[in-house]
Amino acid sequence: MSSVYTRAINILAVLVVVVWLIPVLWVALTSVKPTNVINAPTPTFYSFEPTGEHYVEIFDRFLFDRAILNSLITVGVSTLIVMILALPAAYAVARMGLMGGDTWALVILSLRFMPGVVVVLPYFKMANWFGLIDTQIVLIVVYVAFGLPFAVWILRGFLLDLPKEVEEAARLDGLGWLQIIFRLILPMAAPGIAVTAIFTFVFSWNEYLYALFLTYDKATTMPVALQKTIDLYNVLWGSLSAGAVIQLLPMIAVVFLLQRHIARGLALGAVK
Amino acid sequence: MTALTVEARPSRAAGPPRQGRPGAVARQQRRTAYLLLAPCVIVLLALAIFPLIFSGTLSFKVDPLYNPDVARFVGWRNYNDLFEDRRFWNSIELTVIWAVVVVSIQMVLGFFLAVLLDRKMQGAGLLRTLIIIPVFISPIAMGLTWRFIFEPVSGLANWILNTGFGLEKWTWLSHKDTALMTLMLVDCWQWTPFIALILLAGMQSISPEITEAARLDRVRGVTFYTRIVIPLIRPVIMVVILIRLVDSIRIFDLNFIMTKGGPGSSTLMASVYDYTIFEQGHLGLMAAYGFLILILINIVVLAFLNTLYRTEKAARAADQP
Repeated sequence: MSSVYTRAINILAVLVVVVWLIPVLWVALTSVKPTNVINAPTPTFYSFEPTGEHYVEIFDRFLFDRAILNSLITVGVSTLIVMILALPAAYAVARMGLMGGDTWALVILSLRFMPGVVVVLPYFKMANWFGLIDTQIVLIVVYVAFGLPFAVWILRGFLLDLPKEVEEAARLDGLGWLQIIFRLILPMAAPGIAVTAIFTFVFSWNEYLYALFLTYDKATTMPVALQKTIDLYNVLWGSLSAGAVIQLLPMIAVVFLLQRHIARGLALGAVK
Repeated sequence: MTALTVEARPSRAAGPPRQGRPGAVARQQRRTAYLLLAPCVIVLLALAIFPLIFSGTLSFKVDPLYNPDVARFVGWRNYNDLFEDRRFWNSIELTVIWAVVVVSIQMVLGFFLAVLLDRKMQGAGLLRTLIIIPVFISPIAMGLTWRFIFEPVSGLANWILNTGFGLEKWTWLSHKDTALMTLMLVDCWQWTPFIALILLAGMQSISPEITEAARLDRVRGVTFYTRIVIPLIRPVIMVVILIRLVDSIRIFDLNFIMTKGGPGSSTLMASVYDYTIFEQGHLGLMAAYGFLILILINIVVLAFLNTLYRTEKAARAADQP
């Protein structure tokens, strides 16, 4: 009796997950359909000749190679800077018995809740003064500000979980703080650091609001470039889907890469 | 950096902190801590706090984007203009309704999803990995894909309704009565897995002894969840609600890419409305509205924490014999 019940629930779980992912499968399928099949009045699931034309078009017509490069550079560089700044800060608030360490951490975290529309205008004005509108530099700077609070918070959670005794022993052996950080913490917290870096990367990779305000042509990242496949009268669903697949694939890879670390990373970001 | 290490060393090279000078060691440690914290704090001061102040001063100015020469201070005029604007109040109301509705739905669905995925079957790990994909992929790419799915004539959604279930085709995003609901559907699709995963992590951290004791006491099914699981993961639930509330009030991407506030102003929520003010070039007005969104978020957070604190106190009082 109960095994039948259990099996039914298991099947239900599988079904729910499959249905949940239909939109993702649909965009992948659309990206390889010929345009006339895409625009047909009824959806087609398998009876069509797969084509790569949209993947060619998204590069030729919408300069997607440039958008990919922009995304990689701005997101990659800003993530690196965020990690360099966040690690010592997270260590200080987590471990060094700083007076009000938790207060510092909370104040830093509270910046994460700032609505983008509040700060984007000053960014826009300052970028204008310095002639940095539509450059990779301005997005890198903004993504550092945007990623840092969250990175400090998640890292702090990971560092709090490390055993304290090792560090204390090292300190008694006369190691300085920087030595402790580089020789002990860095190796011990490596998985946590990697997860934090990946999370930071993901947030900036998908970021849209700042990119929309601060770039328009040369430095546009993928989300903004994707939006250019639609105009008032016409939507090129095929090109859009091809671009979307290119933009989504690395993130899906990340999900599989992180697997069980995701729950911990999300929970740390959310809870601790 | 090395200089710091060298400098920090002598006091400790002598061995364990001596009984006589605990204060000196603590002071040294504190100084190092502030040094480590400083770069991060300076960057945040320059890139987050300064822009915030800048935005604050801007909100008291008239500053047309296309004619910056006439910029000047006008006191509270921007705020007054907003308060007298019916569309402003409409957008605030819509945003609050949005946040409350989507977070409620997502919490309930997320809880069921967590329960559903909290099992020991083979491949459960894979299911948990797959379900989290929507959280990690761009709202822009998926928002545009959803628009394709919601195409009134040829879209997948209406095909499923019509051919699959024999129902009437729906208007989805193209009618003012259904657009907001459609947007909510997409938001729930994206964020329910996030909540499910965090609740799941909470459920799995409940110690096996407790589960076992419950089993021996024949606490099962719904009672097991309402009496044991939910009270134990309450702190996690509260934090998740708070985070989702704030993020829902801030919503921009999905709203902008799927409806841009339309049809009419049926989905014109705060951040997108603020963007349209920018497009019209009223920078001062935009800054003022941005600040009001910030205040709204603070009000919600404080109200939530206040309720939390009070129920906590009531619960503790009830526990006393």
